[in-house]
Amino acid sequence: MKTGVGLFTSSAIFGIVIATAYWFFSHDYAGVFLLGLMAAGLAFATIYAVAAEREADLDGDDPNLTQPQAAGEDMGTFTTASPWPILMACAVLVTLLGAIWFPFLLFVGIVAMLLILWRLGAESSRVGGA
Amino acid sequence: MMRWLTTTDHKKIGIMYMASTFGFFCIGGLLSMIIRAQLSEPGLSLVSPHAYNQIFTLHGTAMIFLFVAPFGIGLANYLIPLQIGAPDMAFPRLNATSLWLFILGGLTVLSGAAAAGGAAASGWSSYAPLSEIAIATGAGQDLWLIGILMTSVSTILTAVNFIVTVFLYRAPGMTMWRMPIFTWEMVATSLLILMAFPPLAACLCMLLIDRHLGGHFFDPASGGSAVLYMHLFWFFGHPEVYVLILPYFGVITEVVSVFSRKPVFGYVGMVLSAFAIAGLSMGVWAHHMFTTGVVDNPFFAGVSFLIAVPTGIKFFNWAGTMWRGAIQLSTPMLFAIGFMLNFLIGGITGVLLASPPIDYEAHDSYFAVAHFHYVIGGGSLFAIFAALFFWFPKFSGIRLDERLGRAFFYTMFVGFNCTFLPMHFMGLEGMPRRVYTYDAVAHLPILNLISTIGAGIMAIGVLLFIANVVISARKRVPAGDDPWGGYTLEWATTSPPPEFNFTKLPPIRSERPVFDLHHPELTAKAGR
Repeated sequence: MKTGVGLFTSSAIFGIVIATAYWFFSHDYAGVFLLGLMAAGLAFATIYAVAAEREADLDGDDPNLTQPQAAGEDMGTFTTASPWPILMACAVLVTLLGAIWFPFLLFVGIVAMLLILWRLGAESSRVGGA
Repeated sequence: MMRWLTTTDHKKIGIMYMASTFGFFCIGGLLSMIIRAQLSEPGLSLVSPHAYNQIFTLHGTAMIFLFVAPFGIGLANYLIPLQIGAPDMAFPRLNATSLWLFILGGLTVLSGAAAAGGAAASGWSSYAPLSEIAIATGAGQDLWLIGILMTSVSTILTAVNFIVTVFLYRAPGMTMWRMPIFTWEMVATSLLILMAFPPLAACLCMLLIDRHLGGHFFDPASGGSAVLYMHLFWFFGHPEVYVLILPYFGVITEVVSVFSRKPVFGYVGMVLSAFAIAGLSMGVWAHHMFTTGVVDNPFFAGVSFLIAVPTGIKFFNWAGTMWRGAIQLSTPMLFAIGFMLNFLIGGITGVLLASPPIDYEAHDSYFAVAHFHYVIGGGSLFAIFAALFFWFPKFSGIRLDERLGRAFFYTMFVGFNCTFLPMHFMGLEGMPRRVYTYDAVAHLPILNLISTIGAGIMAIGVLLFIANVVISARKRVPAGDDPWGGYTLEWATTSPPPEFNFTKLPPIRSERPVFDLHHPELTAKAGR
C-alpha cells in the first residue's frame, strides 16, 4: 500500500507543478482550470490513501508471505452472478433517452435506477461484495 | 445464455468485452473499406458526401471508442486478477455494470445510422459548432453523444475497479514491485482514465445542454466558445491516445520477455516510464490546437517532445530484453516485432507533428492520418493480435493454428504498410483529411490506389484470423496450462482457469513466480 500511496502522492505533486507551470507560461484560464481540477482530484485521492494506509495490513504487501501462511485472510465474498448490472445499464440508457426526447421515460428510468440500486444493496448485504 | 448475461465473473466479462469490441472492429473495418473504395480514384461517387461524412465518423468512433481502448479493458479484466493472484475484481457487480454500459453505449452510437438524417457526421471528435443543433439537426448526433457518454462512465468505473483490485487484492507475497508489467501499465492507464475521462463526460453533457436545453457553451454567436470545446475534448483526447497504447506496451513487454526467454530488461525503468508517459500526456492536449493561434505553442511543443524520452526507454528496454535472448519467432512475437517497427514510424512522425512549424504545414492533412494510424493501427492493433495469439490458449484451453497465424501476420504487415505509408506522401502533396474526393493532381491517384489495395490485403488478413479461430475451435488441439513457458501467475492455473481462478498459488518471490516454480535451481542460485 505504501507504493500505492507514493503513486498518488507523486501524481498529485506532478498535477500541482504542471498546473502552476502552465499558468506561468500561458495565463490560459481554461487549461489552468482543467489542470487545477485534476490536481485537486489527485490530492483528494492522496489524502484518502494516506488515511487508509494507517489501517492497511495487507498480505500482498508482505514480501515473504505465502498462500498457506495467509490462510484465513478475509477478502470478503465474491458473487458469481447478478441480474442487476445489465438492468442498471438498460435503466441508464432509458434515462438518457428520456432526458432528450421522452420526459416520461426519464421518470421511468430514474425510478428504475433507484429500484435497482435498492435491490443491488440488498443483494450485496445478503451475498457480499460490491 | 442467462449465465453470460448475468455473470459477474471477471473472465467471462473480459471475454464478452473482447468479443463485443471485435464485433465493433469488424464494423469499423467494413466502413473503412467503403472509405478506401470511394477514394480509390479521383472523382468517384460510390456514396453521397453526407453518407461519407457519417461513414468516417462511425469508423473513427468504432475504432477508438469501441475497439482499441475497450479491448485493452477487456484483456485487463481477464488478466489482472489472474496476474496478481486474486479471485476476482474488487467490485464484480460494478464490473458487470461497466460491461453492459459499454455494450449498450456502443450499440446506441451505431443505431444512429437508422435514425432520420442518419448517423453522426461531425467526425470522431464531434467538434462544435459542427455538432451543434443548427448544423447537426438529426437524432444521430444525439445518439452518438448518449452512447459515448455511457462508454465514458463505463470506462471511469472500470478504472476505479482496476485500481482498487490492484492495491488491495494482491496475493500474499505479490508486492507491487513484483507485479507483471502489463498490470503496472493498466494501473498507469487507470490513473490516466480518472484524470482524462471526466472532462470528456462533462464536455458531452455541455454539448447535449447546448443542443436541447438552450445552452450556449460552444456557440460563439451567443458568447460561447468553440475553442472551449477543443480544450475540453483534447484534454481527454490526447491522454486517450495513451489509454489506447499503454496497455499494449504491457502486452508487448510480456510477449517479448517470454519469447526471448529472458526477464524484462529494466523492470523499474519500464514501470517509471509508463507513469512518466501518463503524467506528461496530461500536459500536451493543445498540440492539437497549434493552428488556432490561441494556445501557448512552445509549452505544448516542449512537453510533447519530452514524451519521446520515456517512450524511448521502453524501446531501449525491449531491445535489451531481446538482446542475446533465445528468440522464438512464434506468431505473438512476430506481431510484437511488427508493433515495434510500425509504432516507431508513428512515434517519429508524432515528434515531427509536435513541432509547430511542421504542424502548421501538415495539420489536418493525410500526413496526420498516416501518423495516428501507425500509432493506433500499426501499434495497438498489432499488439491486440499479439495478445490474442499469446493468451488465446489461456482463454479457451486450445491453441490457434501457427501456420495460419504466420500467414495472417505477413498479410497484415504488408497490407498495413501498403495502406498507410502512402498516406504520408498524400499529406505532403496537400491532400486534406476527411475529403470526399480529390483532384487528379501530382501522385494522389496512384498513392490512393495503392492505399486501397493495401486495405483490401488487410481485409483478407482479418478473414484469415477469423478462419484460424473457427478451424482451431473445430480441431481443438489442447494447449495445456502453460503452452509458451510463461512467467506470470496466469500460467500457474488451468486453461481456462476455474471459477475464482486458483486452487493453489506458488510462492511469489519475484516478478516471475511461474519461472521460479519451474526452475527452482535458478531461484535458489538467485537467493529467492
